[in-house]
Amino acid sequence: MIRAYDDIIVKTIARILTPFIQIFALYVIMHGHHSPGGGFQGGVILGASLILLFITHGLKETKKRITEKGIAVLSSLGVLIYSGIGLLCIILLGNYLDYGKLSKLLHIVPAEARSLGILGIEIGVGITVMAVMVSIFLNISTGGTLLEDEEDNTR
Amino acid sequence: MDGFFLSIGVGLCILVFLALYRVVFGPGIFNRVAAVSAIGNKTLIMLLIMGVIYKRIEMFIDISLVYALLNFICTLAISKYLEMEGDK
Amino acid sequence: MNLTTPLSILFMVGGLFFFTTATIGLLRFPDFFARLHATGKGDTLAVLLSLIGISLYEGFSLTSLKIAFIAVFMFWAQPTATHAISRAGLRRGIKPWMKKENKI
Repeated sequence: MIRAYDDIIVKTIARILTPFIQIFALYVIMHGHHSPGGGFQGGVILGASLILLFITHGLKETKKRITEKGIAVLSSLGVLIYSGIGLLCIILLGNYLDYGKLSKLLHIVPAEARSLGILGIEIGVGITVMAVMVSIFLNISTGGTLLEDEEDNTR
Repeated sequence: MDGFFLSIGVGLCILVFLALYRVVFGPGIFNRVAAVSAIGNKTLIMLLIMGVIYKRIEMFIDISLVYALLNFICTLAISKYLEMEGDK
Repeated sequence: MNLTTPLSILFMVGGLFFFTTATIGLLRFPDFFARLHATGKGDTLAVLLSLIGISLYEGFSLTSLKIAFIAVFMFWAQPTATHAISRAGLRRGIKPWMKKENKI
C-alpha cells in the first residue's frame, strides 16, 4: 500500500508538473512521423506521469481519478483500435493493415490515408502501453491483491 | 567549432567517471543515489552536445527532455522507497 | 562581427566550470548533506549555463524554445529531487557532520 508523501513541496511540484508531462507525451505520440518517438515512447511517458501521481499522492487519493477497472478497459481499448483498423482494411478488400485502402472510406488520396492510418495505430499502441505500465506498477506495489480487497483488509 | 564542443564533451565524460567513484565506493545508499542523480545531469548536456556535433539537434532534444523527466521520477521513487523502508 | 559564437563559448566554459566544482564537492565533502548541497546547487546552475550556450550557438528556432522548456523543467525538478532525497536521509537517521569541539 503506497501512502502519500506528507510533504507539501513534493506534492505541489508533482501536481503542477503532471499536465505538462502529459501534453509532452501527446506531442511525442502525434509527432512520431517526423521526430524520435511514436506509440511506445509516448505511452511510456504517459504512464510515467500517472506513476508520478501514484507515488506522490498515494493510492487512495489517485484512485478517485483513475480506477483499476478503467485501466483494464483502456488496455483493451488500445488493442481494439489497432485490430479494428487492421480489420477495416480487410473489409475494404486489402491486406491486414493495408492503410492505402482507407482512402475509399475517407475520400482522400492514398498517401494521406496511409499517414492517418499509421497515426491511428500509434494512438492505439500508446493507450495500451500506458495502461499496461500502470497496471504492472499497481500489481507490484500492492503485492498482487486487487485494490478493492486491500481496502477491506486494512479496515 | 566542432572541436570545441567535442572537448567539452570529453571533459564531461571525465567528470562522469570521477562521480562514478561515489557510486561504487560511497558509504551507504544515499550517497549512491545523489551521485547517480548528478551523473544524470551531465548525461543530459552530453546528449545535447552529441546532437550539435551530428547536426541533428532537433532529434536529440526530445531524447534529452525525456531523460531529464525520467531522472526526476526515478530519484523521487527511490527516495520515497528509502523513506518508507523501516516502518510498515 | 558575429557576437553569438564567443558568447556561446563563454557560457559553455562556465557550465563546464560549475560541473567541475560540483563534482569536486561530491568527491571531497565530508558527509551526505554537504555533498548534496554541492551537487544540488552547482549542477542546476551548470545545466542552465550549458543550455544557454547551446541555444545561442543554434540560433533562434523551435529548438531554442524546447531548450527553454528543458531549462524551466530542470529548475522545477532538480531542487525538488534534492529536497526529497535529503529529507529521506534525515528521516533514516543520517547524522550531520560537525567539528570535533562542537560535537554534543
